[in-house]
Amino acid sequence: MPHPSDGLLRRLVDEPDGVADADREHVTSCGQCRSRLVEAEADALLVESALRFDVEPDVDAAWIRLAGAAPVAVPVRNRRRFAVRSPVVAVIGVVALLGGASAAAAGDWLQIFHTEKVAPVTVDQADLVALPDLSSYGAMTVEERPNVRSVEGANEARRITGLPTPLVKELPRGVTGQPRFVVGNRMKAIFTFDREKAEQALGQPMPEPPAGLEASQFSLTAGPGLAAVWSEARGVPALIVGRVKAPAAYSTGVPFETGLDYLLTLPGLPATVADQLRSFTNATTLPLLVRSATQVSFTTDVNGTPATVLASRDGAVSTVVWVEKGHVNAVGGTLSSDEVLGVARNLRWKQ
Amino acid sequence: MNQLLTEREGAVPASVRSDLEHVFRSAYPKVVGVAARVLGSRDEAEDVAQEAFLAFGRSSVPAGEAVGWLCVAAAHTALNHLRSGRRRASREEAATDGGHSTAPDVADAVVTLDERRRVRAALSRLPRRQAIALVLRHSGLSYAEVAAALELSPGSVGTTVRRAESALRKELGHASPE
Repeated sequence: MPHPSDGLLRRLVDEPDGVADADREHVTSCGQCRSRLVEAEADALLVESALRFDVEPDVDAAWIRLAGAAPVAVPVRNRRRFAVRSPVVAVIGVVALLGGASAAAAGDWLQIFHTEKVAPVTVDQADLVALPDLSSYGAMTVEERPNVRSVEGANEARRITGLPTPLVKELPRGVTGQPRFVVGNRMKAIFTFDREKAEQALGQPMPEPPAGLEASQFSLTAGPGLAAVWSEARGVPALIVGRVKAPAAYSTGVPFETGLDYLLTLPGLPATVADQLRSFTNATTLPLLVRSATQVSFTTDVNGTPATVLASRDGAVSTVVWVEKGHVNAVGGTLSSDEVLGVARNLRWKQ
Repeated sequence: MNQLLTEREGAVPASVRSDLEHVFRSAYPKVVGVAARVLGSRDEAEDVAQEAFLAFGRSSVPAGEAVGWLCVAAAHTALNHLRSGRRRASREEAATDGGHSTAPDVADAVVTLDERRRVRAALSRLPRRQAIALVLRHSGLSYAEVAAALELSPGSVGTTVRRAESALRKELGHASPE
């Protein structure tokens, strides 16, 4: 019987069960092969020792870092596929489409929606599953991506975004150190309604859409934006203060008031959500989704400007959001509602 | 924070795969381990792993092949770092002198910093496929997994690893056992 190859001897070191019985028996009885096996074992041990470097990475922190470093999703567990794809675009899109702006048909882009305030839209778990994904209703093309990323500091954040950076006079208890800065470019997406695609996604026929709806394009924009982030030891943000140029939507032009009634009755949009969206009397309110099972919300003000506070029911995480001079501002973190409001009301912005 | 997270979610291009988080959470430690064996530095290994997952997130690699693909990508990237001299020497020193929160490194007991540098330099001089097969095997991938990741026949994995180990020993100037 020929001597086994070096490769087979090497495998005998790691995975003896992967070596044929005959080869194993040969090595046992062949002095030359036993010597080669000892050499292979010694080399394997030497390399194992030389290359060994044990690490136990913090996977949660690494995931947050990945999510903040590039155009990467932060899919939240148990949320609808809608969230995984492009929730802001989808939410803005729903509002833009349903918001009732009365733009007349026109060849040019007409502004149909811009954010002047925010308001909560409460959904329960069933609604979250049922909320429509705009990309299932037509074609969604992201033309400009935000490329959310960390930058060197406040100066760099201001230079890239043209936005002022926040100055926090007094950090809440437990939040220390200097923040890192995250920026994102303007994002822009184009949505075109496609009845056939929507019917396929819903698995049922849809009513005849208003004339011109399928031929219209909707341009949705948001940003640029920046945020100062104070991290806890494990990388979970303890405090975030951010500002983003408010979302807006434009259309090549359809009679939106006509489209509104149509779209609000489409299958797939929960009635409870449709009712709340219908109550938005103009196209300047950005809905913030409140997950009723886990979150509460209330309205207040930040130095006279209306604001919405969202907080987890266990009080562990709070956020206050308000719109001012064309920008959406937010202060959030693993803090109480009082703490985020305290930071928000004492903020200064450096140009 | 919800709003900011939402803004970030809004940044997600449609092309980002939906299984990324699942794959990330299950494979990240192994991918960092591969890069750490090449680089001898936790910080740099985590940087490399991030690069690999970013590339994976934009790819259409089947989820079933993710671990092998990511490990090969991490090994390639780490070897590129070694060869291009893009390493930050201070990081390796910080990882060794206890000035960083590096996990206890058993190899520190037997491998000095100089020797660690020699090992990495020697590794970078091996033929690329041998080096990667070696690192994958010593990172705990089975012969079948190494074979699939490198598109080798399972029978040739042992040969490739054996040649790599022998070459590395010679590079390091160790005599073979009598």
